[in-house]
Amino acid sequence: MTLIGQLALALGLLLAVYSIGANIYGLRRRSGEVLASARHALWAMTAMVALAACGLWTGLLRSDFSLEYVASYSSTTLPTVYKITALWGGQQGSLLFWTLLLSIFSAIVAFQTRERNSEIAPYVLIVMAAVAVFFLAMLNFVTRPFDAMIPVPAQGTDLNPLLQNYWMAIHPPSLYTGYVSTTVPFAFATAALMTGRLDDGWIRSTRRWALFSWFFLTLGNMFGARWAYEVLGWGGYWAWDPVENAAFMPWLVMTAYLHSVMVQERKDMLKVWNLALIGLAFALTLFGTFITRSGVISSVHSFTQSGLGPYFLTFLLVVVVAYTGLLLSRIKDLRSPAELESYLSREAAFLFNNLVLVGIAFAVFWGTVFPVISEAVRGVKITVGPPFFNKVNGPLALALIFLMGVGPLIAWRRATRKNLVQSFTAPAVVGIVTGLLAYAFGIRGWYVLTGFSLAAFVLGTIVVEFERGVLARGRMVHERPPRALVNLVAKNNRRYGGYIVHLGVVLAFVAIIGSSFFKTEVKQSVKPGQSFAVGPYRLVYLGLASFETAHLENLSARVNVTRDGRSLEVIEPAKLFFKRQQQPATRVAIRSTLAADLYVVLAGVDDKTGMATFDVFLTPLVSWLWLGGLTMALGTVVTMWPNAHEREVIAAAARRRMGELERQLAAEVRGT
Amino acid sequence: MRIKPRFLFGGALIVAAIAYLIVIGIRSTSEYYLTVDEAAARQTELMGQSIRVAGRVKAGTIEWDPTKLKLSFTIVPPPQDGAAVQPVSMRPAQEIRVVCTGEPKPDMFAAGRDVIVEGHLTAHNFVTADQVMTSCPSKYQAKKAG
Repeated sequence: MTLIGQLALALGLLLAVYSIGANIYGLRRRSGEVLASARHALWAMTAMVALAACGLWTGLLRSDFSLEYVASYSSTTLPTVYKITALWGGQQGSLLFWTLLLSIFSAIVAFQTRERNSEIAPYVLIVMAAVAVFFLAMLNFVTRPFDAMIPVPAQGTDLNPLLQNYWMAIHPPSLYTGYVSTTVPFAFATAALMTGRLDDGWIRSTRRWALFSWFFLTLGNMFGARWAYEVLGWGGYWAWDPVENAAFMPWLVMTAYLHSVMVQERKDMLKVWNLALIGLAFALTLFGTFITRSGVISSVHSFTQSGLGPYFLTFLLVVVVAYTGLLLSRIKDLRSPAELESYLSREAAFLFNNLVLVGIAFAVFWGTVFPVISEAVRGVKITVGPPFFNKVNGPLALALIFLMGVGPLIAWRRATRKNLVQSFTAPAVVGIVTGLLAYAFGIRGWYVLTGFSLAAFVLGTIVVEFERGVLARGRMVHERPPRALVNLVAKNNRRYGGYIVHLGVVLAFVAIIGSSFFKTEVKQSVKPGQSFAVGPYRLVYLGLASFETAHLENLSARVNVTRDGRSLEVIEPAKLFFKRQQQPATRVAIRSTLAADLYVVLAGVDDKTGMATFDVFLTPLVSWLWLGGLTMALGTVVTMWPNAHEREVIAAAARRRMGELERQLAAEVRGT
Repeated sequence: MRIKPRFLFGGALIVAAIAYLIVIGIRSTSEYYLTVDEAAARQTELMGQSIRVAGRVKAGTIEWDPTKLKLSFTIVPPPQDGAAVQPVSMRPAQEIRVVCTGEPKPDMFAAGRDVIVEGHLTAHNFVTADQVMTSCPSKYQAKKAG
């Protein structure tokens, strides 16, 4: 296994290098055959990386402890599903997984561009192969997944108990997919700069890739939050830890990008900005990996210093310098004839939304690297924690939500008074009334009230848009509302998919406000039979129950959740003890409703008396966060779905191509 | 795209607002991040301030009262990597006693683990902690079996 894996990675590296060389040579010689060979080399590289990944998976599944990686992150008693996910449980494996995704995406791009985009395709593939060369070099020389373990131990150290959770099975792959797929738009942007084909071709070609990336970044962040919520047992889902920030920043920048490219497609503006954003997004994915791998920034997830840091930093610098240089060298050709005409226009709303998004990303970046900077400048390490991020990003989030309501409805170029009144009267009324109602119901705090008002305002704009569309279809094609709604979304999926995403953002925003401002915590020690109140609930502690498997010991407290004297359900918060790692872990019991989550942690047990101490959180609206995330994902899928018009365009292109081939054939037949 | 001055003004206003939020945020929320040695050496000036201290949990010093959720322990500087031979004549290693009440004991908490303690220096070599964070859930590098 060791040999096969190492050989596959070595061959993969050679093939990636060859592919770059062949592309350059093929471009010089204008040789289609050489370029085809470069493409084939990428496919072969993908096969090699896949072989290596399968090799490591096989090692994990067969508990082959002659591999150091398997011995370090698995054991014979580890459940099979976690043996599979152990591939990204450690550093070498997660880099291999990363490289696997990158290879697969390169292969797909090579396949997609074999006929389309043939002028810039070789450049795109050079960029992708160059990134692959870096990662494969790491895997071959710096952090090797196939190092042997001597002597071979009888048992492995096992996967960290915190990673033995199903969210951990899906969170890293989602996030990595999101991270790695930013490489594709980045490669197309670089190719556009290299070739000087600076129209919006590169944006159009990679629209789906960018959405695909955003889709997975969204899910990845959300799954990560969900994992933290369920597993870490502190009642929250987001702590502004450097590792979380590293995943959040690319999401912010990609969000900005997805909006600003619409301005370029529509108005031929913001060309430099879009190129800069995609470069930034890609650089941030590398930066994220750098800070999590280098130990430069101490994180709660503190990482062992692995020696990878300097390599990533170097690669990051090379990418940033080269890309910036390339961008500057083309800056004259990127002038746009169009210009901003009015503050009251969609361009302006999008521009400001971009500034705010990038501003948030910068604040997050600054807070994350602040300890390093303060140490370099002042000689003292000063950190900023969650209060900093909340303080800065709170007001910016309000601005963003406001712009989210304004952007889609305001007219391009210059909004007329009529446009403003028609579009915004109803939503503004809804927003203000919501704020007043919230105040009447006893909700206080300017942030909360403003937040709820703005959320209702945005919701109002979305409803207005759907209503308008449905009514228009009713008038024009005489469709009844349910059918009109379906057709409206199906025929204008880019637009209405976007609104669905916005709806998801509103849900998530309301969840964040509810869970941040109205969370209550109760800590209580009780003997079996005793009970205590949490909000509207009364929790009756019934007693302890325990069982044991080969893998772990489980000690759970049985708690009857009652409300108004009615028994609702028996929940079992537990302490697990993982035998192999000699480590305890918490199993939180969550009773989730749309109104609030009851979150019960078994904090401590006194063996002699059977007395248990519970840490209980009552968190309003937190489940809306997951709903919001799923809604965002759903909206993205709707946006990506090929609509009838696009299918028509693709079919027409195919027909043209067939016609061409037939003519060629006919010509050849005549020639012979 | 040429940008008219009045739009530059609007953009600059937003950028300035963001910069303002960041500066104010840093000023009002930053806290010192110190090692055990640094914290012990600068006690007088740090007394009462909110700090973070990174150190290693000393074996045999952990007391945990599960009914009161009271966790106390001593942190020491982690041994320097690569310094197999410690200088002999140095003053004895610094130690800080930590007491954290009202929080469940973190799962990863154990003797010999690196922790970050967030709280206030309330007495000589004594930190009252709001939070004890343990290192490393994800990407946790297993110790080389040796």
